[in-house]
Amino acid sequence: MALIDIANIRVAYGDPPKPVLDGINLQFEEGEFICLLGQTGCGKSTLLRLLLGSEQPCGGRVLIDGREHHQPDRTRGYVPQKYSLFPDKTVLDNITFGAECSEFGLFQCFTPRYFRRRREFRAQAMDYLLRIGLRETDAAKYPDQLSGGMQQRVAIAQALLTRPRILLMDEAFSALDPGTRRGMQRLIRDLWQETGTTIVFVTHNTHEALFLGSRVIVLAKETPDSGSRVAIDLHLPDACDEDEIPSLVRRLERVSHNLPETEDAIHAVR
Amino acid sequence: MSAGVFAIHAKPGRHTTLVLSWFLFVAGVSLYFYTSGARHRENPEDRVTPTVAQMAAGMRDAVLRPAEDDEPLAEGASLMETIRHSMLWKDTRATGLRFIYSMALLFPAVLVGLHMGLFPYVGAFLLRFVLFFDKIIALSLLPILFIAFGIDELSKVMLIVIGVTPTILLDTFNLTRGVPGEQVVKAFTLGASDFDVAYRVVLKQIWPRVLNSIRLNLKAIMLFLFAGEMIASTDGLAYRIALLRRHMGMDVIIPYVLWVALLLFLVDFSMRWINRKLHPWFHEA
Repeated sequence: MALIDIANIRVAYGDPPKPVLDGINLQFEEGEFICLLGQTGCGKSTLLRLLLGSEQPCGGRVLIDGREHHQPDRTRGYVPQKYSLFPDKTVLDNITFGAECSEFGLFQCFTPRYFRRRREFRAQAMDYLLRIGLRETDAAKYPDQLSGGMQQRVAIAQALLTRPRILLMDEAFSALDPGTRRGMQRLIRDLWQETGTTIVFVTHNTHEALFLGSRVIVLAKETPDSGSRVAIDLHLPDACDEDEIPSLVRRLERVSHNLPETEDAIHAVR
Repeated sequence: MSAGVFAIHAKPGRHTTLVLSWFLFVAGVSLYFYTSGARHRENPEDRVTPTVAQMAAGMRDAVLRPAEDDEPLAEGASLMETIRHSMLWKDTRATGLRFIYSMALLFPAVLVGLHMGLFPYVGAFLLRFVLFFDKIIALSLLPILFIAFGIDELSKVMLIVIGVTPTILLDTFNLTRGVPGEQVVKAFTLGASDFDVAYRVVLKQIWPRVLNSIRLNLKAIMLFLFAGEMIASTDGLAYRIALLRRHMGMDVIIPYVLWVALLLFLVDFSMRWINRKLHPWFHEA
């Protein structure tokens, strides 16, 4: 059984309803790194929100491990593009937030056991902090004292500390400069290989999708008024033939109408 | 070419800024004493614009003489004891207590606003009523409050609560709705429950802004408090001002008004300081 089963999903917004997603059927297996690619407004983020459970489809259903989820929960980690950290908490408190909430309810935060466990959570979070390339001195900083790249690193650590089976990332690197973005791409790929977490990564960048994903799914509309469908579902081999990449990029971009074709760039990424 | 007075990009120097910011104070005080001097030259018994000496004497009586309803002090009472039995102390204490009760009663309003903003059923149940209630002029309810609650403390505190609560409640509601949805979703994905989201994520984020909102409503709180005290009270700063108005006691009224302004300034300053200390992230944002 697939970990995520998306069956005949339909989503429409507005009055009269304008279709966004129209008959999406997909199965994601455990341990896959899926990149959802497509033009702005094609419904990538909508599909991600359906996986999160923060939005419900007009038709069809999303099963995660054979069950429908109508609300976000800790089986699925989430890293959005913006507002990924709680501004009132330090870096360390942001990372330990999930562990503390999962183990201690609102009124259990004053027990001696809480303070004992809190020390353990913080030690664990500190390990994560160093692994994602931040320093010990960053632990006491507030999010607004960090750069965009550092914030997203912390957000990834925050999501991974609770060990979710699925990590959903919505254009998580799109606000970063190219250098930082490259570093973050390597980091998330390494973490994926290390943890085996299933990752669904929304992006509109073809190069990023090809670099990160073990599978690239392109959503596209047939006509401007129709809903998006799965236009390409591409399983990438671990070792892709370098010669095939330019044609792959051209094919993906032609379908998604996303970026200009730049063969040199994709060679550099790979 | 240097920027003119009405240039948006003008940068007044430190001394210029200092002079400009104090100018109106100095001008106001100077104008007062000029008028006072002129009136006293014309009529030495003038009570509308008391001189500094008259105001100092009035305040000395207010601070150092026992309140009229108090027992006379024993011979050789200490200064602190004298002040504790003075009119100013008793009035300040009475008004201060009412003010503290009213502030404490605003806390439930913050919690209601938070729940209205987060929980759709609570919002649907209360929002329309609160919006309607917000439009009622609190002072117009004063007779009803006096009839319903009597002329004791409760009616005055209720006047403040009715006057300010809807504003704080709606402010909190809007601040809650302003927290990015991503953060709420993120908290759920990290294992937070509904109440964790409400109290560990949203309330903590909006709290400094709520404190600011309460701070900005201090004047409204005092306005309702003064209205209540002036109409039905036997003590309090506003009661004293209203009482002295009948006797044209401007030598005490003016220092009392300045005392109230100073107290309000100190409360405002303390709230800002506490906010800054409790929420360093808020001021750095």
